[in-house]
Amino acid sequence: MISLSSDSSPSTSPSPTVSISSEDHDRPPSPMANALSSFASSLSPPGLSTFHADLATSPITGGFASQMHLSPSAFTPPMRTQSVGSKYLRRQSSSVDEDAVHDALSPTHVSPAQLYSTESGRLFHAGKICIVLVGLPARGKTHLAVSLTRYLRWLGVKTHAFHLGDYRRVHIAPGTDVPDDYFLVNASPSTVILRQRVMAACKADVYRFFEEDRGQVAIYDAVNPTSAGRRVLVKEFSQRGIQTLFIESICDKPEIIESNVRSVKISSPDYIGWDEKEAIKHYLRRISDKIPHYETLDEPEFSYIKLYNAGERILLNNSRVGYLPNRIVFYLMNLHIKSGCVYFARAGKSTEQMPRYKSDPHLSDEGRTYARILNDTLLEHRRSEHTARRTHGDNSPERELIIWTSTRRRTVETSAEFEKRGFLSRQRPQLSQMHPGSCDGLSGKGLEKQFPEEVELHKKDPYRHRFPRAESYHDLAVRLEPVILEMERIPNDILIIAHVSVLRVLYGYLMACSPFDIPELDFERNEIVEIIPSAYNNKVKRIKIYGVEENETL
Amino acid sequence: MGSYSFQAENVQICVIMVGLPARGKSLIAQKIVRYLTWLSIRAKCFNVGNYRRLETAHPTAEFFDVNNSEGERLRKMAAESAIRDMFRWFDNEQGVVGILDATNTTKSRRNWILELCRKRNVEPMFVESWCDDEDLIMQNIMDVKTTSPDYVGQDPERAALDFRNRIHNYEKVYETISERDLTYVKLINVGSQVIINRIQSYLESRIVYYLMNLHIKPRCIWLSRHGESAFNLTGKIGGDSDLSARGREYARQLPQLVKMSVGDRPLTVWTSTLKRTQQTAKYLPYRQLTWKALDELDAGQCDGLTYEEIENRYPDDFAARDENKYEYRYPGGESYRDVVVRLEPIIMELERQENIMIVTHQAVLRCIYAYFMNVSQDQSPWMEVPLHTLIKLEPKAYGTEVIRIKADIPAVSTYREKGQSAKIRK
Repeated sequence: MISLSSDSSPSTSPSPTVSISSEDHDRPPSPMANALSSFASSLSPPGLSTFHADLATSPITGGFASQMHLSPSAFTPPMRTQSVGSKYLRRQSSSVDEDAVHDALSPTHVSPAQLYSTESGRLFHAGKICIVLVGLPARGKTHLAVSLTRYLRWLGVKTHAFHLGDYRRVHIAPGTDVPDDYFLVNASPSTVILRQRVMAACKADVYRFFEEDRGQVAIYDAVNPTSAGRRVLVKEFSQRGIQTLFIESICDKPEIIESNVRSVKISSPDYIGWDEKEAIKHYLRRISDKIPHYETLDEPEFSYIKLYNAGERILLNNSRVGYLPNRIVFYLMNLHIKSGCVYFARAGKSTEQMPRYKSDPHLSDEGRTYARILNDTLLEHRRSEHTARRTHGDNSPERELIIWTSTRRRTVETSAEFEKRGFLSRQRPQLSQMHPGSCDGLSGKGLEKQFPEEVELHKKDPYRHRFPRAESYHDLAVRLEPVILEMERIPNDILIIAHVSVLRVLYGYLMACSPFDIPELDFERNEIVEIIPSAYNNKVKRIKIYGVEENETL
Repeated sequence: MGSYSFQAENVQICVIMVGLPARGKSLIAQKIVRYLTWLSIRAKCFNVGNYRRLETAHPTAEFFDVNNSEGERLRKMAAESAIRDMFRWFDNEQGVVGILDATNTTKSRRNWILELCRKRNVEPMFVESWCDDEDLIMQNIMDVKTTSPDYVGQDPERAALDFRNRIHNYEKVYETISERDLTYVKLINVGSQVIINRIQSYLESRIVYYLMNLHIKPRCIWLSRHGESAFNLTGKIGGDSDLSARGREYARQLPQLVKMSVGDRPLTVWTSTLKRTQQTAKYLPYRQLTWKALDELDAGQCDGLTYEEIENRYPDDFAARDENKYEYRYPGGESYRDVVVRLEPIIMELERQENIMIVTHQAVLRCIYAYFMNVSQDQSPWMEVPLHTLIKLEPKAYGTEVIRIKADIPAVSTYREKGQSAKIRK
């Protein structure tokens, strides 16, 4: 039995745990959030009032705020000293349109694709692992950390990424910038002390994650340039029963580095308000300052993975340490610096009023009209986006769009318009809708009449419950893993035309949704949902399709 | 991880083995086939040596000298036959992953195969097994080659010597893979270092993932069901009951049984989280780990019923199960296929480990056994795995050896034949 029993030992964490559930969507930002937002706004360079306003009213987004640790008393004014020694922050609100990958997980969290749960909360007898990233800036380390967190959490491995950059930002006095020699190796003693304090704060959180939150995998995202420094880490971790796995990101193609800088610059909190060219120059100078003192991974006794050019080539050393490292490499083989976005659209209406799985009906006339309008809307949207990018000086070419549908007729026929215009469309049986089993053709009242007990059970656990002979969302999640990994590896833009059950699971993966949220996600027929990936988090945009009615899930 | 067939995807991959003789290539090739088949992906191995043996049954080392033009010609012919058969299999039998098992040690030979694959729209993926660990090589030579069909009837010492000379001839022209634009995996000294280059698809990454977990050190796996349980006695399925008196006797005798088979080798015992397996293993003096993935197939609504009760209450289900036991899923429960999916981490972990003993349940044991013994999906759910029997599996280069050790303690049979109406026997 795939057990849902949550970890039974009592939580040992002293601070209040805010569990993230669907009821939190509509809560106004808490006092803590407001305190954070004013702290955040005080750090950025002057002249950015619009940014301040956004941060104050919307839920905390992005990697910036999520790793900050303020003391539980919410009203103390933002000061540097506050950040030392407290629990790392749990995000208060979690709208499903915000990427939840940076949220802390509650102790009783059960993941969407988790095959089973254990009492210790640690799966696969894999113990505690710290993944230490190694690599110069702009090598995609943070993207790696975020993506890996997303995938491992999806599988049910309690993972959290700790970005040293976030701790550095918190430790600098509000209103000032980092000391000039901060990134230099032969820095002044006071700078060295500052650096050590930053690292200590980060490590303290890592240990807390393992010891108090029963975390299983921590990802330590920093440059880690010297062999001596790495050895110290391994020793320290091993004393606490934590295995160390190094992942080094190496780039020998300048285009990749520059493209990283450009996109990192846009998303990184360090450069809010800077001129683009200045930012790139500054960033590249930071990199070249480090280069003479960078030692690539070479220690034969360490377990490490060297990633070349974002996964083109992977070298593993001594990685026979366990199931999880190998599973991580498996994921890395499929991960690339994803630049393409994903569009979700439903199939058009079919000839059956209540479409049955068995009959696999065709599109109705209304459905065919929908397909045409969908095609026009999407292409028009892409054109205007492309023009907008051009006017901002981004001359990168428009990425090719490919279409993925299931093998069911409705979806295939919906993609016909795209094919007519020369787009490539692929049919994937894994994208077939959730199998309705004995409930084929039933819904609402009909379903309640025939299977009243099942409907009750379903309400209690809509994610894992299976109607007779039917699939559950969890089954779908496991079934969709190849699709998810292929989405990671393809650089194109992808339009996925599928049944709403499939769209929910795929969206749930990309936006790190919990199993509570996934069965409730909304996909109207008059909308195309666009997910734009970026280094720190994925963003959602909803594109309205005019001329099409909103519709229930049919 | 999902185990759905990839056929409709139209992906066809040719795995091309590369490496000197006695580097475990055939072992790896066989294992890939077995793994993919277990996941319902059509895979087949084409061993060039077998084709060569049709013409030249007992060659000496000189046959493999690159300057021996006649030998070269015959060996190339064998490779051509194998490849031809492989492409025919791709076309006619909906093959998905074909494995070309040969040394393929020169760049020119690899290029030739590469061109053929590209013409046929088959994705080429090279797997090189590189080893300089003398002990491992010697072991391989002794173990495999002296029982190889090439050396049948010959004195093992002379066979080993001749084989060493054969390897020397290959070594003279060996070019390890270094072409950066190829898709390849290089396994160095059995996975202590692995180089992965330009993986193109999910299926390829899945194969590489599997390869990373393999090793060729000799080891054994012992499988046993829990001792007879209280539910077994009353014919009920599922549940979390305790052992019966006879089951407890089995638990008491087990350490001795295991010791006789295992000897002084180190061993780790894996059980499920259900009481009956833990009670069975409790006297074993080895390190124990519990895995939820080893829990019995969940019978959902039928949990706690006897087969007779199931037949009476859910006659359609009972019949449907007989029709396709592998795919049939108990209402509110699991199917054999579901069990296979959740056994994936166990299988991977088993590949990585050395001596392991697993105390588990009927359906789970069938799935694990099917993986090692390459039992098909329509047969595995019907295999007889009696209680109070220790099964020893010893994976070897060309197959797995099975020994069943019966404890002298009677138990009920929980075996039901297809189509047979449910009745408890004994």
